[in-house]
Amino acid sequence: MSPKRQTSKGKQKTPEGSLVDDREALRDVIERAQDGDRSVLPALQRALKEEPKISGIFVDLASSLEKSLVRRMANGDLMVEECMPRNLKEMKKELAGDDPLPLERLLVERIAICWLELQYFEILYAQNMGNLSIVQSECHQKRLDKAHKRYLSSIRTLAQIRKMGPAVQINIAEKQINTVGGS
Amino acid sequence: MAWERRERGGLYYTRSTKVNGRVEREYVGSGYLGQLAASLDLERRERRLAEMTALKRERAEMEDLDSRVSELYEGIEDVTAAALLIAGYGKHKRGEWRKKREPKETDQ
Repeated sequence: MSPKRQTSKGKQKTPEGSLVDDREALRDVIERAQDGDRSVLPALQRALKEEPKISGIFVDLASSLEKSLVRRMANGDLMVEECMPRNLKEMKKELAGDDPLPLERLLVERIAICWLELQYFEILYAQNMGNLSIVQSECHQKRLDKAHKRYLSSIRTLAQIRKMGPAVQINIAEKQINTVGGS
Repeated sequence: MAWERRERGGLYYTRSTKVNGRVEREYVGSGYLGQLAASLDLERRERRLAEMTALKRERAEMEDLDSRVSELYEGIEDVTAAALLIAGYGKHKRGEWRKKREPKETDQ
């Protein structure tokens, strides 16, 4: 169901279907909530509470991306292929801390993938620097800038969420730990 | 690159290149010299084609990888935004997330 469907009164209808499966609808609902439309909050809550799929989807995607990126970076070097996932695991453990909440775990996965992508682009750029035309070099630079921006933004988000404390922690897996704290 | 038949009947290998937007034909030679130049040109063309194909494939793979990272990035961004909105936060002027003030109970 599209969230943009209009009711007879001209108001936007709150989506009743799964927002997890319909990313466009989820984004639309988030925008409406950001614009102050409180009527969509129950739909958002439903999406986060009742969909254990969310973390599964992103963890699977992150895991497949990690494998692809490591394979490319290793380029046949079995030592790198063996060591890189271990280093990443350590990095994630360090970032996540002792008892991370599900949202933090997702944010940590994102940081790790963004870091890995940035490393991969940096290696590629360094390897080909001498053979690139101006246009190709610009293209590489743009790709690097984008990856760098995403990496920094991912770190910033995790730091923000931690600073906000348990008020923003939502268990998107099995259990619900949503506690709205005082301001 | 082409073999050209001359008036006397012999074959002559020529090489056309673009210089400052104009096509310039270079007359390389006939016989063994022409054949050598033709095979070198063919080899060079095949190598360039293989490089371009590899480059295209690499670019496509990188774009696919980048779009999957984008999907992950945006998806987790959405989940975080949803969590923040439910916890009572809002984006201040579409930038920083801030706790929204609860509407005050007005004295009646």
